[in-house]
Amino acid sequence: MSFTLHDYVLSGNCYKVRLLAQLLEVSYTINPVDFHPGKAHKSPSFLALNPHGTLPVLESGDTVLTDSAAMLVWIAQQHDKQHTWWPINDAECLAMTVQWLGFSSQLTESIGQLRLHTMLNRPADAETLRRQSIRHLRELENHLTEQSIRGQAFLCGKQPTVADIACFAYTALSPDAGLEHTLYPGIRGWLHRIRCLEGFLTMPGIYEAHETRNEHTAAS
Amino acid sequence: MSTQPVSLSRDLTIKQVMRAELGDVDMAVWRSASGVVSAWENRCPHRGMRLSHGFVRGESLACAYHGWHYNCAGACHYIPAHPELAPPKTIKANAYNIAEASGIIWVNATGNVAPIDIPSSTVPVRSIPIACPVESALNGFSKHTHQSLLTQHTQAEIIADTPYVLALTPVGSNSVGVYIAFQHVNDSTTVAHITATDNASMNDVVALSRWANEVRDITEFSAGVSE
Repeated sequence: MSFTLHDYVLSGNCYKVRLLAQLLEVSYTINPVDFHPGKAHKSPSFLALNPHGTLPVLESGDTVLTDSAAMLVWIAQQHDKQHTWWPINDAECLAMTVQWLGFSSQLTESIGQLRLHTMLNRPADAETLRRQSIRHLRELENHLTEQSIRGQAFLCGKQPTVADIACFAYTALSPDAGLEHTLYPGIRGWLHRIRCLEGFLTMPGIYEAHETRNEHTAAS
Repeated sequence: MSTQPVSLSRDLTIKQVMRAELGDVDMAVWRSASGVVSAWENRCPHRGMRLSHGFVRGESLACAYHGWHYNCAGACHYIPAHPELAPPKTIKANAYNIAEASGIIWVNATGNVAPIDIPSSTVPVRSIPIACPVESALNGFSKHTHQSLLTQHTQAEIIADTPYVLALTPVGSNSVGVYIAFQHVNDSTTVAHITATDNASMNDVVALSRWANEVRDITEFSAGVSE
C-alpha cells in the first residue's frame, strides 16, 4: 500500500520511515510539515489528525499511524517478502527486534531531546539528558561489541531488522547533540554497515559512505 | 608526549577513518584499501577541515570539504577543482609516527613510535572508555579481576609505564591471559584497549567484554563520577 508521510526533514523519527521505505523501494508521498519555526504540528488541523501533536504521521486510506516504530513494522510486513526486516518466522530474532524497538524510543527521549535542546534551544535539563544519552550509547556499544565478537553484524543477528533502522537514526545523529562516536568503535562499525546498505538514504547530518562509491580515481 | 595506543587493529578496517585524541593532539587515523595505517593532524592543510570527516579512496584520504586527496605519505596529489594541476609538494598533511603491533595501533605525535612488546598472538576484546584519569583506570583493572576467567591468583603486572600496559596472568596452564594498553585521552578520559591470549574462546571474549564494562562502572563509581 502506498502512503502519505507527514514529514519534517530534520526529524530523526521521520527519517527512519523515509530510510526504510527507500531500502525496500516503497514509493510514497511526502507532506512537509513546518515543525520549526512554524510549529505546524501543534496547529488545530494537525491535532485533528494526530492528537499527540508529534511527527511523523503515516496516512494510508483509513490507516493513521503516529508511532515511527509502528510505521516501520507496517512497511516491512507488507513489502519485505523475505521477512528479514520484520522477522516473523524467527521467535528469538522477532523478540529481540521488539526489544530494540523499545530501546529506540528511549534514544528519542535521551539523544533526540538533547539534540533538540542543542540545535533549537529547546528548554531541557541538558546535564541529565547528556548522562542518559551516554548511558544509552554505552548500552548499545556493549551489545554491538558482543554481537560483533559473535560474528553478528547487526542488533538482532546477521541481517538488519527494523530495530536497526529505529536505533540508527538518533545514534547516527548524536554528534548534533554534542556526542561524537570517537570512543564507540562498535557503534562506528555498525553505523558504517548500515550506511553501506543498498539503497541507503541520507539526511542532513547523516552522509553517504563515499568510500564505497567507485568514482574517478586520481593517480596516486 | 609518548607512544600511545589509539585503537585495536580490528576496529579500523580497510577504507575507514577515525578520530583519536591524545591530550591536545587531535588526529585522523585511517587505513587505506591495501591496509596501510596513517595518523595525521586532524586538519586539512587547505581550509582546516577535520580530516576525520573525510573518506578513503584507494590509497588516499580525501577531505570532506573540497575533496583534496592525500596519499599515504601525506602528500596532496589531487585537487578536484583543478584536475590538471600537479599540487605543489609543500601541500602535505602533518603525519605522526605510527606502528601496528600486537593487534594495536600505536602513535607518537612528537617523536619515534615505540610499541610495547605484547606477546604477538593476541585476540582483540574491545576498546572501552572510562571517565577517569589513567592511574585510576589502571588501578581498577588491576584490582577487579574476572570472577571465572581470572581468579584471585591472577598476577597483575604493569609491564610498561609509558604508556601503561597491564598484564593479567592467571596461574595455571590453559588459562586466558589479558593485556590492557591504556590511552591517556585527557585527565578525565582514559581508553582501555583490551586483548587476550590466543587460547581465548569466543565465549571467553564475550565474558571479558562484560567484565570490562563492570570494571568501568566500579572504577567510575569509586572515582566519584557516574556516567
